[in-house]
Amino acid sequence: MSEGLKLRFPRPNPIVPAHSVAGRTLMLLIGIMTFLSCVTFGGVLLVQKSAMGWSADVGRELTIQIRPLDGEVIESNLRLAVSLSEAVPGVASARVLTIAESEALLEPWLGAGLDLSDLTIPRLVVVQLSDPNAADIARLETDISAIPGASLETHAAWRMQLNTMAGTIVISGILVLGLILVATALAIVFATRGTMSTNREIVDVLHFIGASNRFIAGEFQGRFLLLGLKGGLAGGLAAVIFFIFAGTAMSTVVPQQSSAQLGVLFGQFALGISGLLGIVGVVLVIAGLTAITSRLTVRRFLTQIS
Amino acid sequence: MIAFENVGLRYGHGPEILKDLTFAISPGSFHFLTGPSGSGKTSLLRLLLLSLKPTRGSVSMFGEDVSALDRDRLLQMRRHIGIVFQEFRLLDHLTTFENVALPFRVRGQAEPSYRSNVEELLDWVGLGDRMDAHPAVLSGGEKQRAAIARAVIAKPDILLADEPTGNVDPELSERLLHLFEQLNRMGTTIILATHEVNLLDKFDYPRMLLNDGELTIHE
Repeated sequence: MSEGLKLRFPRPNPIVPAHSVAGRTLMLLIGIMTFLSCVTFGGVLLVQKSAMGWSADVGRELTIQIRPLDGEVIESNLRLAVSLSEAVPGVASARVLTIAESEALLEPWLGAGLDLSDLTIPRLVVVQLSDPNAADIARLETDISAIPGASLETHAAWRMQLNTMAGTIVISGILVLGLILVATALAIVFATRGTMSTNREIVDVLHFIGASNRFIAGEFQGRFLLLGLKGGLAGGLAAVIFFIFAGTAMSTVVPQQSSAQLGVLFGQFALGISGLLGIVGVVLVIAGLTAITSRLTVRRFLTQIS
Repeated sequence: MIAFENVGLRYGHGPEILKDLTFAISPGSFHFLTGPSGSGKTSLLRLLLLSLKPTRGSVSMFGEDVSALDRDRLLQMRRHIGIVFQEFRLLDHLTTFENVALPFRVRGQAEPSYRSNVEELLDWVGLGDRMDAHPAVLSGGEKQRAAIARAVIAKPDILLADEPTGNVDPELSERLLHLFEQLNRMGTTIILATHEVNLLDKFDYPRMLLNDGELTIHE
């Protein structure tokens, strides 16, 4: 559009004035709700990603435990376990944990400087799978059972517990998200009703001059959509800053060793592209929810007074 | 153009406000609607504006029984009716031009298509130099002329006026009545509610007299 035309036809004032909608309070409320939704979403995503990663790692590894028995030479049994394991399809490698490695594993529970030679503790063989789905675990279990004092630990119980816990957290998160969205919708309904009441004069005048309910609803909906987008963007941005801050805090405030252990347990405290896209999705859902809820409330109000 | 037959109106379970109204208004006529306060003038105007439905009887407008019309058709019909209120009911955040142009905006028309019409009408009602002013700075007479301009900008077939001179001085009341007369000469059917006896005496038009909900017409 040319400059001259712009001056000749300046944009008319909106029919519903911006200040007549309880904007600031509603925008703050939408911002807070969006922030809570995004943090819940991000938290659920991190838990799910960590659980999946951990489950996959644990699933790629089996442990053969061989208890020392009288009359048995444990070193030869260990070698036999390794060779039997390596003969099973789907097994990438198998190796015996050294005494030192076993000590390191027990150190967090029994303390440093432990001499394992004084204890009759089982020895371990770690079996790495190349493809957990293709590995013939049943055959390995049968083969290993031939070795006196040997047993196979597949970590299935741990994985099941982990998956159950992660699933519970994900479902709880989805429930919390749903409740936040319902609370947001209810707050928007109340705010819209208030706005319609304070703008009753405008609604009446528009009716008298022949405006359809659809037109009037559209005028109000535009205001609420804008509020939803602004509040949603502010809340989403705050959530992204929160995750960046939390990630940075984990790597700087928490000691490096603890940070590494937390990373192993919970994965990296970073949302990644999928997380950021999810936050954008939450913002859009909240903005859309604001627009749709306000439109339905306005239409209902207009139908009641028509 | 308008035909009422045994029309009655009550609000909820209250007493009947309008009783057995039967009358016909022909196109291009000018009627005063008068009567004491509380006699039902505003209720009758709301029936004529199609913002109320009668409790009983039938109302026919433009040859159609309005009780049989759906919401969309009622809306279309309402666009053939203009209304002027005693308290002007201009939107304070809009300029005079924007207030008068409102009927075009709600019909989805773009400003270039109606700008010259609005400017021309504002000149005609003597507000050509007040187009950019907001209602807060307009005098009572200017506000009422802007309200009349808004009511007639879309060329309605019927113009309803509810005490349009109630908030202006006697001299301006007379000038506004002349404005309504000119609109009537251009073909608009006018029903003007007033209880100002001096106006009724100065302008010789049929009077619809409402008294306690009952109507008599004095030609």
